Amino acid sequence: MSMDEDLRPEEFAEAASAAVGDVIGREFAEVASTLGGAGLLGVCAAEEDGGMGLPIAFAVPICQVAGRLRLRFPVVEQALVAKALAGTPQAAELINGERTATIAWHAEHQGMAGHAPYAADCDWILVPDGDGAALVARDAVTLTPHAELDPESPYYSVSLESAPILQRISVQRYQALREEAYLLTGAYLNGAAQGALEYTADYLAGRVQFGRPLTAKQAVRHHLARMKLLNEVSLCAIARAVETDEFDATRSYKTAWAGALTNALFVIEKAIHLNGGMGFTWEVPLHYALRDARRIEAALQGSATINAIGQNFIDAA
Amino acid sequence: MSFNTDVVIPDPATGQGVYRQHAREWLQANLPDHMRSDSLNYRTPTLQESVDWETALYKAGLAGMTWPKEYGGYGLSLREHLAVNKEIGALPMPESVGSIGKELAGPIIMAVGTEEQKREFLPAILSMREHWCQGFSEPEAGSDLASLRTRAVQEGDRWVINGQKIWTSGAAKARYCLLLTRTGTVADRHRGLLMFAVPMDTPGIRVVPIKSIDGKESFAEVFFDNVTVPDTARLGAPNEGWNAAIRVLSIERATNRMYRPWRFEGELKQLVRACKSDPELSKLLQESYYQRRIGQIACEVDGLKGLIEKVVDQLMAGETIGAQGSLNKLYWSECHQAFAGLAMEMVSLVHEGSSELAKRAKAHFTNAYLFARAETLYAGVTEVQLDIIAQRIMNLPKESQS
Repeated sequence: MSMDEDLRPEEFAEAASAAVGDVIGREFAEVASTLGGAGLLGVCAAEEDGGMGLPIAFAVPICQVAGRLRLRFPVVEQALVAKALAGTPQAAELINGERTATIAWHAEHQGMAGHAPYAADCDWILVPDGDGAALVARDAVTLTPHAELDPESPYYSVSLESAPILQRISVQRYQALREEAYLLTGAYLNGAAQGALEYTADYLAGRVQFGRPLTAKQAVRHHLARMKLLNEVSLCAIARAVETDEFDATRSYKTAWAGALTNALFVIEKAIHLNGGMGFTWEVPLHYALRDARRIEAALQGSATINAIGQNFIDAA
Repeated sequence: MSFNTDVVIPDPATGQGVYRQHAREWLQANLPDHMRSDSLNYRTPTLQESVDWETALYKAGLAGMTWPKEYGGYGLSLREHLAVNKEIGALPMPESVGSIGKELAGPIIMAVGTEEQKREFLPAILSMREHWCQGFSEPEAGSDLASLRTRAVQEGDRWVINGQKIWTSGAAKARYCLLLTRTGTVADRHRGLLMFAVPMDTPGIRVVPIKSIDGKESFAEVFFDNVTVPDTARLGAPNEGWNAAIRVLSIERATNRMYRPWRFEGELKQLVRACKSDPELSKLLQESYYQRRIGQIACEVDGLKGLIEKVVDQLMAGETIGAQGSLNKLYWSECHQAFAGLAMEMVSLVHEGSSELAKRAKAHFTNAYLFARAETLYAGVTEVQLDIIAQRIMNLPKESQS
């Protein structure tokens, strides 16, 4: 690890805010090159590939900001693939943002894989299978969009046919990637909830009804306070997940992720409600946060994950 | 009961896990089986048994960690306080009978008391020689303490106190009452509030027990009828003392009983083990519904741990925590009520033919469920915490900004 001892993950939040804020609304490839140029796609990737070789905790604030600003780009997937492909030429191109990659979160079965966000925009797709995961070119596979949830940014099924494998990662490395995906998508979810809460609190503070801002109403204030509580709980749980305990034992990221998912859905759905009729429109951007949260829930199987946490607890008790 | 109190308190500087390891080993070796709520030999400890147990905890370096050495504490940091709390939470031991002294009176005396008061009161609190009760709430002043009516009138070098307190925990066993009074009238609201350390055997004090929802009489009404105390019983000056106390209490709300999420986790394990011990209840654990509920509670416990550890990190870094304690209070109380509801639902299947552990769990969790009704009330009622979060953490405006 080459981390400067004084460097802290939260210091990346400021740089991430500026860079992500700068690319909102830009073309997909331009987003990649700008984020890559700012060093945000290779924070945890290998130094020999052009990354910074920092622990995964340093990618957390970046993903949190991406969620908060509703970035329409697979920042989690690109960062994870860049790290997992350490030592390959593709890793360097992902780190600097020249090329882009996503992940089909539902593993290959009979030639089909599923839940690959932004796949039509990306150069490469990482497809998990029984032997780890394979990197394939988007042009070499057939994509089927699923636009029910998000017509602007569908997720895709991937038909592999006989697509050439550009790189392969081991089962262990893919399992590590997937575990880290819980952490980073958890941060993204919590950021999405934070953004929805901030947007809503600002709106309600300025929306005058019955002669006073809506934030003067106790029912509204209490809704917002609960949203703040759950957002803070998730922030703390994610921060805790990357720390070791007094005996240097590491923690699973899944629990923090499941909590972040549950809390984010509560906050975002309530945010849409509190924005009234405008919250129901396409114009108010909260629906993007909701779509992102539900997409991540489906990709990493929220319901099954929470049940597995319960089952593991029962087994270990 | 005998405890090993001839222990060498480890120096935390010798390794980050040493204090937690010390707590773990001592507690596991010394907690009597009959005090474990998951034991078939469990029985409600007598007051003396609880006092003996907590005295031993103190002697073993597991109470008063952060209090200064000159007042009987161990002069350690919140890190050790947290490490010990994790281990205290991990075992199903009785709640403290000295918590008002350790969590409320002690920190307030530390902040506003005279040197003489600190030396008189603080060591006695830690060593469990003197219990305290809290005289804040009144029939007309619950969450709104600015409405309190109990009045203190100065007569020379004495104060004469008249009024009534309610919801006073442990009044019958307390040696002192941390009493909040006012020197003026109710119209003064927060002005003129004054605290005292009032000996509970002072003439004019009458304690009337209140039977609570769980069948216990741990609360009381306390009446003060021309109770006269010397000026040396005063804790701080009018206004000044109470304002300092408010600051102390906001930190205490965030730092006391840090063991909660570890205790909740332990209770959840106790519930699961009890279900596993019984053929009928064990079927519940195979149902997706209960797996999900248990998974959700595990996530909430994890989040609560995160909230608590953040407070420790902030305070250790010298930062202020503001109203963070309100987030913690709101979250732990509602999480635990939800858990107690689940436990009640599961143990409702227990009957005479159930396993002994299941029957023990039914007794424990029925009581826990009933007591949990108080959790969203005491130490700051839910709706007030929501107000505090909206006002002090989110700064939500009540008037137009333009």
